[in-house]
Amino acid sequence: MMPLLILAGGSVLVLLAGALRPGGYLYELAGALIAAALLWSLLLPAGAVMPGLSVTPFSRFFWVFLDSIGLVALLLAAGYNRRRGITGEEYPATLLFALAGMGAACTASDLLMLFLGLEAFTFAFYILVAIKRDSVKGGEAGLKYLLNGTLSAAIMGMGMALLYAATGTLKLSGLASAANHPEALFLGGAGLVLLGMAFKLSLAPAHLWTADVYQGAPAPVTALLSTASKGASLAAMLLLLPLFGAWHGLRDLLWALALFSMLAGNFAALRQSSLKRMLAWSSVGQMGYVALALVAAPSGGLRAAVFYIVIYATAGLAAFGALSALSDRFEPDRLDDYRGLGYRCPLAGIALAVAMFSLAGIPPTAGFIGKFGVFNAALRQGETTLAIIGILAALVAVFFYLRVVVMLYMKPAGDSNQLRSPGFSEIIALAVPTAATLLLGVHPQPLLDLLAKILT
Amino acid sequence: MFTEYPLLTILILLPLAGCLALLPLWNCRVSARPVALGVGLLELALSAWLYGSWRELTPLQAKLPGYLLVEDAPWIPAFGIRYTLGLDGISLLMVLLTSFTFCIALLVSWNSIKEKTGLFLTLMLTMEAGIMGVFLALDLALFYLFWEVMLIPMFFLIGIWGHGRKIYSTIKFFLFTMFGSLLMLLAIIALQLLHAKQTGIATFGLHELLKTQLPADTQLWLFAAFFLAFAIKFPLFPLHTWLPDAHTDAPTAGSVILAGLLLKTGSYGLIRFGYPLFPLAAQTLTPLFYTLALIGIIYASLVAFAQEDMKRLIAYSSIAHMGYVAIGIAAWQPVALSGSILQMANHGITTGALFCLVGMLDERAHTREIAAFGGLWGKIPQYSFFFLFFSLASLGLPGLNNFVGEFLVLAGTMKKAPLVAALAFIGIVLTLIYTVRLVQEVIFQKERQPLALADLSPRELLILAVLATVDVWMGVHPAPLLDLIHGPVQLLTGGGL
Repeated sequence: MMPLLILAGGSVLVLLAGALRPGGYLYELAGALIAAALLWSLLLPAGAVMPGLSVTPFSRFFWVFLDSIGLVALLLAAGYNRRRGITGEEYPATLLFALAGMGAACTASDLLMLFLGLEAFTFAFYILVAIKRDSVKGGEAGLKYLLNGTLSAAIMGMGMALLYAATGTLKLSGLASAANHPEALFLGGAGLVLLGMAFKLSLAPAHLWTADVYQGAPAPVTALLSTASKGASLAAMLLLLPLFGAWHGLRDLLWALALFSMLAGNFAALRQSSLKRMLAWSSVGQMGYVALALVAAPSGGLRAAVFYIVIYATAGLAAFGALSALSDRFEPDRLDDYRGLGYRCPLAGIALAVAMFSLAGIPPTAGFIGKFGVFNAALRQGETTLAIIGILAALVAVFFYLRVVVMLYMKPAGDSNQLRSPGFSEIIALAVPTAATLLLGVHPQPLLDLLAKILT
Repeated sequence: MFTEYPLLTILILLPLAGCLALLPLWNCRVSARPVALGVGLLELALSAWLYGSWRELTPLQAKLPGYLLVEDAPWIPAFGIRYTLGLDGISLLMVLLTSFTFCIALLVSWNSIKEKTGLFLTLMLTMEAGIMGVFLALDLALFYLFWEVMLIPMFFLIGIWGHGRKIYSTIKFFLFTMFGSLLMLLAIIALQLLHAKQTGIATFGLHELLKTQLPADTQLWLFAAFFLAFAIKFPLFPLHTWLPDAHTDAPTAGSVILAGLLLKTGSYGLIRFGYPLFPLAAQTLTPLFYTLALIGIIYASLVAFAQEDMKRLIAYSSIAHMGYVAIGIAAWQPVALSGSILQMANHGITTGALFCLVGMLDERAHTREIAAFGGLWGKIPQYSFFFLFFSLASLGLPGLNNFVGEFLVLAGTMKKAPLVAALAFIGIVLTLIYTVRLVQEVIFQKERQPLALADLSPRELLILAVLATVDVWMGVHPAPLLDLIHGPVQLLTGGGL
């Protein structure tokens, strides 16, 4: 329990500290708090259990995973926010609150806590997306996210109400056993919950918010939004998965979500000229592969899905990290702005290139092992058609990922302005995910073993 | 001696270690080049030592018949992927070709790469490691990994140091190859799952998968995926369009490696994996394979005749020459297959040399148009001698290496499919026509080039002399190489040792 308390309490503490001593060491304080929560969940065994929450190896894994992302995102934000004039205590405090919400979402043992966790971190993101108050795009993105988010929260809430009406329980274990003899009310509820989750995971056709929000939000926020929030949503999805096994119609729905996401995401990304929009659409496609793994859940798809989200997170952090490290007072957004940057800013260039190769699924990066696991599970499940469509969509994706690499290394630099060299915290924040992407590509076995253990 | 060391792993890791050694010399062009070449020569020495002592190496009859060295370790047990490397006669020949070609490629780009030399050399060495891995891997997943790893350096090589429409060409090259290989990846996974269903063991090991019993229609689907991947690399007729573009726009070293090695990975894959894994399907598709190869030979020869750019001409001639390799594989008969394997090495050396020659001319005159030259014999005699020499080798003059390979392919195919062999002969005539045109217009005829051209420098002379020596040696005395691949070829085509 303690890590969640540290994060939630820490959020309040940072707010207070900010009020008492504005401009103090707030980012350092927040970083120390996240590190404490991270160490606690890493080292100490599962402690007390309170109603609605049960700490299992599964949730501890996700705590460690999400807190690590949070730490990297905070390191990115520290320099970025200073340059862009985003001051004040609200940024670190909200980030801590988001992490607490994510932690709750992947520890929940009943629907109420799950809903609370999911909405808590989504709520934090409404603020973070629009944190730069004088940015028009940021405000637009925040509003779009808020409207879409409330709609999905309403849908999910309705679904949970129906589930409760059908079974009289909110406990996930009770609902899972009720799923064996489902009635119409139950199925309707489960369907609505699945749709709500599709919004959180930005699966097509519930993905339309993604491009605008990713583009409008500051790069470090997008880094966190595209990785940690997806990770926490997947954890919640895995907790809910027994409910969706009730009826083949729900499985078909997931099947269709996977199909549409892989196609819509990868094809739409082809036409983008803004790097952040392209990455947003590509993340829709990437989530399609996660959904494909979930379709193949009985054949080892769960492990493939979690592995995929981990490698997606490392690549996403590296990519958006490079974006925020490269942005000075303004943020380069058009793909053309990245001409020749691979030579002018080598570390960010390498991080971005490695991330692109990983997202494209090309060895020796981790993306290959991720795709390998997903397709392995899909074929074992007998989903040959979906696997073939998926792999052809991946080919389309290779094209637009390569375009970024081409911009970085094969086009002459547009202007020769001296680039700011990245600060120490940014070097760490770029090097860690990049190294993890390469390491998991050649030595994935320990993580796969760990996942096998926590998913039993 | 020495065999207690993991020699095959060293073959792969040595170039990668070279990359690390290059890091401190990143911006120092003068000292980085000798270091990279030193690594290349060390690799060549190791493969030459392996070749020199292959008769003394004890064959592993009990475990893997035909193999001289095998290394095996678990890599990703969760998926059943193992790190299995094996060396037999065919791999050894390819390893030798790889390390030799890389030394040539490093030498030929000695002066022509003026920018970002550190990056260039690092990419070259990474690619060498990847190609070595392709020729050594005996685990299908590992093979796939190396197969893709070797693409990335080539992508950068063409894209950064290429000419003309380099970005279009490099993306086309990458996408074509990825298209085939992604479907092959699915087929590899499917094959493993079918094997696991039959035996309960999840493995990607080639020699376990060879024992899988597959119904004919499943074989056909899986083979089609493998075939597509290899045919694109080959390249076979309708899938060849990436090759002229990639060759033309690549830097000289890139062209040498593309022609000398990357095309060979396609034919090697078919010999090592495609045919042995799916014999029934391969038989069914043999007529198609013959047809595509024949169309390729004749079509590419005709197109080559019409080219104005020398590099493009040689690129199309590559397609035609690889057509003979394809025919020899399709016949799947000991003599023809030996011819194909030998032809892979021959083509690598001869075409590599021709690309070097065109590159040297390009460095001097900054054009590759055939029409821009003429009468070079009087101007730069040494250069012209080698140009004529390798052109003759390329059209199959007896006594030079291509003759041996093409002869064996046609002789072997004659036994199985006389019509195909007869039609392939037409291709030889066509080769004659376009090669004679090239030689005549560039070396003889009137002088059209206003620039004063310098004759070969000592470095260039060394490259060409070494290539020519190897060419003659393989043409006059191919017996040791044929001995080397005899055992594996017999095993592959179903005969005893």
